[in-house]
Amino acid sequence: MDAAQPVRPIDTTAEVETPEHVRFDYPLAGPSRRAVAYLIDAMIRAGVVFVVVLVLQLVEIGVGFDGMSTGATLIAIFLLDWFYYVFFETIWSGRSPGKRALRLRVVGQDGRSLTVLDSVLRNLLRAADFLPFGYAVGLVVVSSDPMFRRLGDMVAGTVVVIEDPGRVTAPLYLHPPPTVEEMERLPSRMPVSREELEAIEVFLRRRGTLAPLRELELAEMIAPIFAKRLNLFHVPDPVRLLGLIYARARGHQAVAAPHQQQQQQGWQQQQGWPQQQAPQQGWQQQQGWPQQQAPQQGWPQQPAPQQQGWPQQQQPQQGWQQQQQQAQQQGWPQQQPPHPGQPPNQPNQNPGPWS
Amino acid sequence: MSTAQDQDTFVFRRQAEWSELEKLIGLGKELHRSAPRDISRAASLYRSVCADLMRARANYGPDLIRYLDGLAARAHNLLYGARAYRVSALWKLIAHEFPQTLRRRWGFFALANLLFYLPFLIGMFGTLASTEFAETILPAQQLAGMEDMYSEGFNEGRDEGTDSAMAGFYVLNNVGIAFRCFATGILFGVGSLFFSIYNGLTIGVVLGWVTHTGHGGNILTFICGHGPFELTAIVISAAAGLQMGWALIKTDGLTRTGSLRAQARELGNLIVGAAVMLVIAAAIEGFWSPSGLPPPVKWTFSGFACLFVIAWLGLGGRSRAASPRVEVGA
Repeated sequence: MDAAQPVRPIDTTAEVETPEHVRFDYPLAGPSRRAVAYLIDAMIRAGVVFVVVLVLQLVEIGVGFDGMSTGATLIAIFLLDWFYYVFFETIWSGRSPGKRALRLRVVGQDGRSLTVLDSVLRNLLRAADFLPFGYAVGLVVVSSDPMFRRLGDMVAGTVVVIEDPGRVTAPLYLHPPPTVEEMERLPSRMPVSREELEAIEVFLRRRGTLAPLRELELAEMIAPIFAKRLNLFHVPDPVRLLGLIYARARGHQAVAAPHQQQQQQGWQQQQGWPQQQAPQQGWQQQQGWPQQQAPQQGWPQQPAPQQQGWPQQQQPQQGWQQQQQQAQQQGWPQQQPPHPGQPPNQPNQNPGPWS
Repeated sequence: MSTAQDQDTFVFRRQAEWSELEKLIGLGKELHRSAPRDISRAASLYRSVCADLMRARANYGPDLIRYLDGLAARAHNLLYGARAYRVSALWKLIAHEFPQTLRRRWGFFALANLLFYLPFLIGMFGTLASTEFAETILPAQQLAGMEDMYSEGFNEGRDEGTDSAMAGFYVLNNVGIAFRCFATGILFGVGSLFFSIYNGLTIGVVLGWVTHTGHGGNILTFICGHGPFELTAIVISAAAGLQMGWALIKTDGLTRTGSLRAQARELGNLIVGAAVMLVIAAAIEGFWSPSGLPPPVKWTFSGFACLFVIAWLGLGGRSRAASPRVEVGA
C-alpha cells in the first residue's frame, strides 16, 4: 500500500507500525493542547505542595517540633519537580492527570508504550525545554518539528498523541438520488483515482459547515477537471456533479424517475437516520447506524417506477442540462413519491413500498 | 474502483464489534485491572479491528479509516500499555548497566572530570593566593555566609529540625544542579560545559575561602562523607550531557534526532544511576555529615564511601568471565 501512496498528505499525524505490522495514524498533540495539560498538572502540583505545607504546619503547631516542615516541604517540591511526571507516566502508561484530562498520551515514536527510562529522559529534559523561561526553547522546538516533539521527546523518542474517541461516520447519499439519466452520462468505471474520490468525500462531508457560496466556489474549482475528463461540456451544478461522481464510484443505485422532493434539491445530510429527516439540503449523513436494518434497505434496489407505479409520463424526459437548469430555477417537481431514503416514520403522505 | 464489499455493508456488519471494543476501552481503567474475560475479549476484538483497518485502507473512505485508526490505536495503547515493573530490573539497571555504560563511555566521564576538577583547583588555589580573585567570582556576602556556616564546626551537631531542613535544601539544590548539568547538554553540549566549569569553580572558591579564613578542617570534614557520591554524580550528569551534545555534533551518518535516539538508552542508564547516587548523597549530607561525630569517624566513613563508589563504578556489571564456565553447553 505504501507503493500505491508514496506521498503522504501533509497532516498532523504520525504513522507507527506495531510488531504485528499494523499501521496506525496517530493524531499528534500540538503545543496549545499540551500547554493546557501542563497548566493542569502545574495546578495539581501547587495544590499538593499547599496541602503538604498546611498539614506540616498543623503538625508543627501540635507537636511543637520546629524546623521539620521546611525540610519536608523542600523534599516534596523536589519530588514533584522531578518525579511527578515520571511517576504518573509510568503507572498510567504515558499519561499524567493533565494529559488524561485532555485525552493526551505519550507513546514511543514507533507505537510501543512508554518505558520508565523514556519517561525519565523526556521529563529530566524539561530543564532544557524550559530555558530561558516558560518553555521558550520547547515552544520553538515543538513548533518547528513535524511531529511536535520537544527536546525531551526527541531524546526519549516519544510523541504526544491525542486519543479522541471517534465516531463511525455515516454513509453519504446523494439527495435527491441520482437519476438514471444522470448516471447514464457517467461511465461505469469512473476515471477517478482513490485519492480524488477521498478528496470529493471530504468535500461532501464538509458541506454542512460551508456557506453555500463558498461551497459552490470550491466545487467550481474541482468540478471542471472531472467534467473535462468525462467529456461533459456544460456543468450547471458543479456540486451535484461531484456528488454524482461519488455516487457512481461508490456504486449507488440510480432511480429512474426525475426526482421530486419536498425539500430543495441537493445533497441530504441526515441526523439520526432513520428517525428524522433533516430539512436542509445536502448529503445524507446519518449519525449512528441502524442496528437491525441493512443500509441498502433504505434505498430501492432497482429503478422504482414499476414497483411504485409512479406516473411514467408525468414529466417529459429531459436531457441532463435542461433538467438541471430547471431544477436550479424552480426546485424539483413537487408531486412525486417521497424520496426512497426517507424514513418510514416520517409524517409522510406517500409511503414507499419498504415502509 | 472495485470493492470487495460495499463500504456501507462493511460498516453495518462490523459495527457491533467496534462498539463493543469501544465500550471495553472506554472503561477508563488500566486493562490488567479488568476481568480476565474482558481482557481476552478486548485482545481478540483488537485483532479483528486491525484486520478491518487493513481492509478499510485498501477499499474504503478516509473517514472510516480515521475512525478505525483511532479505535485500533487506543486499543493498542491499552493492551500493550500495562506492563509489570520489577524491582529486579531496577536493580540490574543500577548495579550493572549503569557502571557498564559509564565504563564504555569513559571518554566523556574523563572529560567531565577534567571540566569539573580543573576549575575547582583553579578556584581553590586562586582564592588561597588572592582574596580578590574569590570576590570577582562570588559576591562577598555569599562568601561571608559560607565562612559563618563553617566557622563553628559540628562538634555539638545540629538539632533534628535543622538536619531535616538542610537535607531538603541540599536535595533540592544539588539534584537540581546535576540534572541541569545533564539537560542543558542538549544545546550541543554547551550547557553541560558551562555548568560543569561554573560548579567546579564556585565549589573551589568556597573551599579555598573557608580554608583561607582558617576553618578548612571543618568544611573538609563536612564534605568528606557525601562528597564521593555527590561530586561524582554531578560529574556523571555532566558526562551524560556532553555525550548527548556530542551525539548532535557527530551523527555518524544518522539524522541528528536519530543520533540522539541511538544514545537514549545509555543516557537513561547514566542519569538514573546519577540520580540514585544523588539520593544517597543527600541522605548522608542531611543527616550524617552535620552530625556531631568526631572527625576520625567521618574520615573513616569517607574512605569506605570512596571505596564503595570506586567498586560500584569500576566493578559493577563485570562478567565473571575469568571463572570457568565449562558446564555451559556441556
